[in-house]
Amino acid sequence: MHEFHIVVCMKVVPKAEEIRVDPESLLLDRENARSEINPPDMNAIEHALRIKDQCRARVSILSMGPPLFESILRVGLAMGADDFYLLSDRAFAGADTLATTYTLARGIDKIGDVDLVICGEESADGATGQVPAGIAEWLGWPQVTLATEFQLSDDYTVCTARREIPGGYEVHRVKLPAVFSVKTASNEPRFMDFDRKPWAMEEAGVIVWSRSDIEVEDDLIGLKGSPTIVSGLEQAETRARQQHMLEGDPESIAAQLAEILAPFHTRN
Amino acid sequence: MIDALLIDDGLQDEMMGVFGQAAWACFQCGACTATCPWGIVSERSLSIREMMRRAQLSVGGAGGDVWLCTDCGQCLQSCPRGVPVSRVFQAWRGQLWKKRTVESGLTPVLWSVYWNGNPLSQPPSERMNWADGLDVPLFDAKEHEYLLFVGCTASYDPRAQKAARALVRILNTSGSDYGVLGEQERCCGECVLRMGHRPYFEDIARANLEQFRKAGVRRVVTISPHCYDAFNNHYPDRKEFVSIHYSQLLLDLLASGKIDLESTPSSRLSFHDPCLLSRANPEYETPREILAHFDGIEFEELDRSRAETLCCGGGGGRIFLETLPDERFSNLRIQEAQQHAIQTLLTTCPLCISCLEDSRSAIQVENLKVLDLAEFIVSAIVPDGRE
Amino acid sequence: MAVSLYGPEDARQTVCVYLEHNAGRLEDVSLGLISKALELTSGSDWRVCGLILGDDTRKPAQEALARGLGEVISIQHEIMTRFDVSAFTRACFEVILQEKPAVFILGATPDGRDLAGRLAVRLRTGLNADCTDLRLNLETGQLISEVSGFGGGVIALLESPAHRPQMSTVRPGVFEQQFVRPVKSGVIRQIDVSLSRSDLQSELLERSVGERLDLSKSQVLICGGRGMHGEFVQLNALAEQLGGEVGATRPPVDEGYIERERQIGQTGVVCRPKLAVTCGISGAFHFVVGIQEADTVVAINIDPQAEIFNYCDYGVVADAHQVIPALIEALARESHSSHA
Ligand SMILES: Cc1cc2nc3c(=O)[nH]c(=O)nc-3n(C[C@H](O)[C@H](O)[C@H](O)COP(=O)(O)OP(=O)(O)OC[C@H]3O[C@@H](n4cnc5c(N)ncnc54)[C@H](O)[C@@H]3O)c2cc1C
Ligand SMILES: Cc1cc2nc3c(=O)[nH]c(=O)nc-3n(C[C@H](O)[C@H](O)[C@H](O)COP(=O)(O)OP(=O)(O)OC[C@H]3O[C@@H](n4cnc5c(N)ncnc54)[C@H](O)[C@@H]3O)c2cc1C
Ligand code: SF4
Ligand code: SF4
Repeated sequence: MHEFHIVVCMKVVPKAEEIRVDPESLLLDRENARSEINPPDMNAIEHALRIKDQCRARVSILSMGPPLFESILRVGLAMGADDFYLLSDRAFAGADTLATTYTLARGIDKIGDVDLVICGEESADGATGQVPAGIAEWLGWPQVTLATEFQLSDDYTVCTARREIPGGYEVHRVKLPAVFSVKTASNEPRFMDFDRKPWAMEEAGVIVWSRSDIEVEDDLIGLKGSPTIVSGLEQAETRARQQHMLEGDPESIAAQLAEILAPFHTRN
Repeated sequence: MIDALLIDDGLQDEMMGVFGQAAWACFQCGACTATCPWGIVSERSLSIREMMRRAQLSVGGAGGDVWLCTDCGQCLQSCPRGVPVSRVFQAWRGQLWKKRTVESGLTPVLWSVYWNGNPLSQPPSERMNWADGLDVPLFDAKEHEYLLFVGCTASYDPRAQKAARALVRILNTSGSDYGVLGEQERCCGECVLRMGHRPYFEDIARANLEQFRKAGVRRVVTISPHCYDAFNNHYPDRKEFVSIHYSQLLLDLLASGKIDLESTPSSRLSFHDPCLLSRANPEYETPREILAHFDGIEFEELDRSRAETLCCGGGGGRIFLETLPDERFSNLRIQEAQQHAIQTLLTTCPLCISCLEDSRSAIQVENLKVLDLAEFIVSAIVPDGRE
Repeated sequence: MAVSLYGPEDARQTVCVYLEHNAGRLEDVSLGLISKALELTSGSDWRVCGLILGDDTRKPAQEALARGLGEVISIQHEIMTRFDVSAFTRACFEVILQEKPAVFILGATPDGRDLAGRLAVRLRTGLNADCTDLRLNLETGQLISEVSGFGGGVIALLESPAHRPQMSTVRPGVFEQQFVRPVKSGVIRQIDVSLSRSDLQSELLERSVGERLDLSKSQVLICGGRGMHGEFVQLNALAEQLGGEVGATRPPVDEGYIERERQIGQTGVVCRPKLAVTCGISGAFHFVVGIQEADTVVAINIDPQAEIFNYCDYGVVADAHQVIPALIEALARESHSSHA
C-alpha cells in the first residue's frame, strides 16, 4: 500500500490593512505590504498534520505564486509538512479562479498518488472561496467544503467529515481521493517545531515547477486562461470605525437604532 | 497513581540541560509554597515544593498548575537554596510546547508575535498610532542619545498608550534626545520566554539585537519593566547597549533640573512596585526618589512594598490566561490600598495597571485612581494636567 | 484563450436565477436575487427565469411565480432530497447548455458557492464571487459585478466579456426582496435530467441545526458589560429578535450573571460577527480585541467619555436599561410593518 498522501493548498497574502490601490494605475500595490500565510490555510495545514499525527501520512504543501511565497511558506515545513511544491512562473500570473484551479489541479496530477487535498475556507485577499470546488472539478473528485473534523476509514479509502452549515453541522462520507476546504478557526494551528525549523527554513529543498514542468495548456493559465477581467478598483476605508453618534430623544434614538439593526436580522 | 511515576525523559533533559543542578538544590523545605501569592488567594494552593520534587524526579502530570506561576520572584527570595523556581516552571512549559499540550489560547499568542511582531493580534502598521498628534521622532543614532522602546502593550492598549503619551510629553518638554523604531519595533519576546518557548525567544532576541546593532543603538529606555528585564537579564551577548527603565531616566531628568514640577497633586499616594523592578531588578528606590522631588505630598507605603511587593498577577504570561475572580492577586492589592485610604495608586508597569484597574472596578473602590508614574508627573508639569 | 462552451454570440438575453429552498420555502437570498434580476431587466425584452432543483419543488416554484418571475425551470428527481454538489452540478450544467443564458446568478451560501465553483469550471466560464452589487448593460449584455477583497478594504468591478454564462454569486442580504405583482401567465417548466444514485458524490450521515453555542460563529452579538448591572433579560430578548447570541465582558461573568463561555475578549472568545452591540461596556482593550473584527459595532453607554465610542460605528449616549426596551419595541414595529 502506498503512503497516505495529503496535499495542503496554501497561499501567501498581504496584510489587508497595508494594501493600497494606486490611484493612477488602479493596480494593487502589494509590494509595500507585509505578507503572511493566508490565515485559513493555517487551519488547513493543522488538520492535515493532525491526520499525520494519527497515522502514517505524508503532508505536502502546494502553492501557486511568485518566488516570494517560498520563504514564507517554509513555515509550513517547520510546522510538520514533509514537502513543499511551488508552482511559479510568470505565465501563471494574473490568474482568476478558473486559471488558478486549473494550474493547481495540474500540479496535483503531477505530484501523483494524492489521497486528500485540503484547502482553506477562503483567502484573505480575493476571498472567493471558489478554489476548492474548482480544483475538485478539474480533478473530477468529490468535495466537502467547510469541514471541521476528519475521520479516515481503517483502510484509508473513505473519509468522514463534519461540515459546518449556518447554525449547525452535517456529517458527510466521501470516497477518496477528495478535496476539502476547512472552516476558518476550526482548530488552533500548532506553532513551529523548533527542532525542524533550521531544516525547514534553510536546508529543505523546495520543489519549484514552472509551466513546462507541469503539463498545462498555455491557453488555460495565467491572464490568458482567465475569463474575469478587473474593470475597476477602489480603496474602501473599512478598518476605521465611523463613530457616528446618534442624537435625539429616546424614542427617536430607538427608531434610528432599529433601522440600523434591522438589516442584520437573520431569518431562520 | 501509576501515571505520576512515569519518568518524562524530555522533562529530565530539559531540567538537566537548562539548569544543570539548579532544581536539584531543592531540599524540600517548603518556604516557596509558604510565600507564593497563590497560597494567599487560592484554596487549591499551588504546592511549589511538590512541583519542584516532580521536576527533580522528572515526573510530569501536574496539569494546569504549570501555567500558574507569574514569575513574580517571591519564592526565589525566600528559598534557602536559591532554586530558580520560575525558571523551572518555564523549562517545564517548554516541554509542553514540545509535546503540543499547552493551554489553548497560547499558541495564537506566539503566532501573533511571529506575524505581527506583537502578542496582541494587532496590525504592525498601526504600531505608532499611540503617538498620533505628538512629536515622536524615529531613532537616528547620529541625533539621539537613546532609543525609546515603547513595547507592545503601550503601543496598542489605549490605557497603556496614555502612559506612553505622558512619558513622551515629559521627554519633549525636558529636551531629551530620543527616538523610536516606529513600525519597525517588534516584540521584545519577554512573554514568549515566560510562556516557556525559549528557542523562539532566542530567535527573537537575536533578530532584535541585530536590528539595534544596525541602527547603532547604545542606550535603550523601556516603558515596560518586562522589556527592561528581557533586555538586561535575558538577551544573549548584549554588550553594545545598556537598557534602563523610564523611571530611572525620569529620576535623572529631575535630579539634573530638566523637569520643573509646577504643582503638587493633593491626593493621598502610594506606590505599587512591579515585581520586575523590585525583585528581579532591585530598582525600588527610584520611584520613591522621584516622589521625593515633590514638596509636601502625602505618601504612604503599602504593607507589601519594595522587595516584598505583591505581584499583580499579570506576569509570567498570565496576562493571556484567565484567572478566576477570587484568585486575582490584584484584588488583594486594591484592598490593601483601600485599607490605607489611598487615593492615587502609582505604578510603572502597563500590565500592573491593567490588572489593578480591573480589580479596582470589580471591588468598586470609587475614590481610588490607578496611575502610571509618568501620568502623575505630567500632571505636575503641564498646567492643564493630563490630556 | 480559455473558451467557454458557448460565447456571447450564442447566448440568449436571459438572466437565470438559481433558487434555493428549504422546507417548501424560498430562501431570502433567492427572493432578493429575483427582485434584482427583475430590476436589472425591467422595461427590456430580456427574460428572467428561475432554476430550481429538488425532489419536490412545487411549492417554492409557485412562490417564485408569486414573486414576479414569469418562468421557472424545475428539475425534480427523487435522488435530489438534499443538495449534493455532483448531482446538482450535473443537472444545472445540462439546463444551462440548453438554455444558454447570458447571465446566471446564485446566492453566495455554502451550497451556492459549492455549486457555482464547480459549474463555472465545467462551463469554462468566469465566476464572480460574493458580489455586493450587480449591473447589467442591456445593450451589450455585459454583467458588471462589484466584489470586495482584503477584508473589505478593496472594492473591485469584474466583467467576463468573452465568456458565457456570466456567473456571479451574491452575498446574502445584499439585495432586498421587493414586492412585485405576480405574473398571470407565469409558467413552471419541468425539465427531465437523467440522474441516478451514482451521481451523488457523498453520503450524508447526519445533519443537525441549532442548539450548540458557538459565539465565535454568531453573526449577531449582543454584548453586556458591568453597566447592565446583571440585567441580561432584555439583552437576551434583543438577541433572540435579531437571531443572535448574547456575550459579555468579564465582570458580569465574574459576578455570575452569565456563563463563562460567553465571555468575549483576550481571555474569552474572539468573535467576528457582522454586528456587535455593546451595552454598558467601557471598552477596555482586553474586551475590544474580541470584537475588533466585527463588521459593524454599535455602542450604548451612559458616559460620553467612554473609550468604547472610539471603537464603534454608531454610538448612543444613554442608559441602556431605557434604550434596549425601546429598541426592542421599535424593531418589533419595523418587522410588523414590513410584513404587512
Ligand atoms: C479583490 C479581489 C477580488 C477577486 N474576485 C474574483 C472573482 O470574483 N472571481 C475570480 O475568478 N477571481 C477573483 N479574484 C482573483 C482570485 O483572487 C485569484 O484567482 C486567486 O488566485 C484565487 O482565488 P482566491 O484568492 O479567492 O482563493 P479562495 O478560493 O478564496 O481560496 C480558498 C483556498 O484555496 C487555496 N488557494 C487559493 N489560491 C491558492 C494558490 N494560489 N495556491 C495554493 N492554494 C491556493 C487555499 O487553500 C485557500 O485557502 C479576485 C482577486 C481580488 C484581489
Ligand atoms: C488578564 C486580564 C484579562 C482580561 N480578559 C478580559 C476578557 O477576555 N474580556 C473582558 O471583557 N474583559 C477582560 N478583562 C477585564 C478588562 O480589563 C475590563 O476590566 C473589562 O472588560 C471591563 O468590563 P466592562 O466594560 O463591562 O466594565 P466597566 O469597565 O466597569 O464599564 C462599565 C461601563 O458601563 C457604563 N454604564 C454604567 N451604567 C450604564 C447604564 N445604565 N447604561 C449604559 N452604560 C452604563 C459605564 O459608563 C462604563 O463605561 C481582563 C483583565 C485582565 C487583567
Ligand atoms: S524554598 Fe527552595 S529549597 Fe525550599 S522547597 Fe522551595 S525550592 Fe525547594
Ligand atoms: S515566582 Fe511567584 S508565582 Fe511563581 S512560584 Fe514563585 S512565588 Fe509563586
